[in-house]
Amino acid sequence: MKETPLATDEQDRALVERYLENHGAAAGALVDRYQQRLFNVALRMLGNVQDAEDVTQAVFLNAFHRLRTYDPRYKFFSWIYRMTVNESLNMLKRRKPTVPLEDDLDILAPGAASDRAAEAEDRVGRALMGLKPDDRAVVVLRHFVSFSYQEIAEVLEIPVQTVKSRLFTARERLRLAIREGVR
Amino acid sequence: MLSRDQIDLIQQEIDGANTPEGSAALRSLMEQNPEAGAMAAELRRVAALFGQVAEREPPARLKRAILDALPQPARASPGALLRWAAQGLRFVTKSMEEPIMTKKALLIGSAAAAVVIVVAGILTGFPPGSRDAGTIGGVQPAARYHGKVMTEADVTLKNPEIQALFQNDQILRLVRSDAFRQVMASDAFRQLQASDAFRQLLASDAFRQLMASDAFRQLQDNDLFRQLQASEAFRQLQANAAFRQLQAQDAFRQMQSSAAMRQLQDNDLFRQLQANDAFRQVLASDAFRQVMENDLYRQVMDNELFRQVMENDLYRQLLANAAFRQLQESDASRQILASDAFRQLQAAEAFRALSQSQALSQAFMREAMRAQM
Repeated sequence: MKETPLATDEQDRALVERYLENHGAAAGALVDRYQQRLFNVALRMLGNVQDAEDVTQAVFLNAFHRLRTYDPRYKFFSWIYRMTVNESLNMLKRRKPTVPLEDDLDILAPGAASDRAAEAEDRVGRALMGLKPDDRAVVVLRHFVSFSYQEIAEVLEIPVQTVKSRLFTARERLRLAIREGVR
Repeated sequence: MLSRDQIDLIQQEIDGANTPEGSAALRSLMEQNPEAGAMAAELRRVAALFGQVAEREPPARLKRAILDALPQPARASPGALLRWAAQGLRFVTKSMEEPIMTKKALLIGSAAAAVVIVVAGILTGFPPGSRDAGTIGGVQPAARYHGKVMTEADVTLKNPEIQALFQNDQILRLVRSDAFRQVMASDAFRQLQASDAFRQLLASDAFRQLMASDAFRQLQDNDLFRQLQASEAFRQLQANAAFRQLQAQDAFRQMQSSAAMRQLQDNDLFRQLQANDAFRQVLASDAFRQVMENDLYRQVMDNELFRQVMENDLYRQLLANAAFRQLQESDASRQILASDAFRQLQAAEAFRALSQSQALSQAFMREAMRAQM
């Protein structure tokens, strides 16, 4: 995900305008532009492919439904990432708290590209699930979307200092968790 | 022991967020304090681990599911509950099409009769069958109705109802669709069409009464849905606080757009729907129950003609017909009926009530027509 360049806001705005002018292809273009990134954010937040798919779809449908009321003063990508994080947090709240992590975690892809990547995905996924959801959101946006502190603050609508505080705390926990996992 | 500021300096360096002065200060710190160097090294390894995680491709069906679920610009918004209901009908339609395909030959008379039966089935709200009386029957009974037909000689093309049907663009497009032709051309349908019970059903007073009903006439009108929306009962239902509460629920919205729901429409069984917490939450929600228990809603659901058909002996004979059973016993039908999720649906009082709603059935029909286009 971090290799994917951030979509420019101008391009997003142009597509939004075209969609609002009933150009159906614009919807497809927006989905193409964001579905993989949003899906991966949801996946890292939820640790479950099916849930991530549900969240991604819900986010797009909500977004298209609300596009006419979308305030263009805000960046489109901030808006849609915010919805993805919030939708993921909502889904986490709805989950039964009794489900063991091991049974719920679905990060590891069948036939993952390589053993190393699969191992990394497994370790990172499990460590992420050990974080508080709010902290996890910051880590996901930083490390999987490569957002700056400021961009994360805009997406989550929290102060930059809070972003740093959450990120640093979470990363320290990840450091310890991963270190424990190595032993 | 590192101070908070020193740790932040290390963390910001990992993110490339330090100023040149900050980076220089950190280098100096690490030279003087091995603990700082060790922490920086570990945090870099953590960051590097993230870098090793490959980005996952979303399921290939996701884009299509999103775009399919988007309202068309010219399409009137039927409201959340109706969209959901219509989605259910699309699944029903698909589940019926699958087990029934073979030939291309299509007698216009058979098509006419088919339309009558399909329309009647949908208008009457997918009645429960003999084996599952009192249950939702949203899938199984609808399949029965699609298994319609009669011989050409039996088709009363002079019948004004059928003539009217063929003057309706939507009906015509449905009839001309490949999927519909396949249904009509199946052996199972031919057998059903030839059965005495079926012909007798079509000739029954109850059925004729149904065909002559206001609801049926409304179906022939392209503005049906607008009429439904404009109806006093429907407006009252929409204004009902419980109904609005249901529509506003996160769980309901999520269920509408869930991938599991999309797969349901694609006839990929109910297993994923069963695992969808949001769906269960909606069915179990107080808001949903309030809607179902609402007097106005019950008023919308009331359908005397439906009861007459259900009480008709000939209808029961139809259900016992071998050809009809063949349809029911198709792989697709068996998979659906055997799924736990289907049993859950059947057990849901709210869903049963929904399936018998006259007004919603009309909306189903309109949506079904769109789905076929």
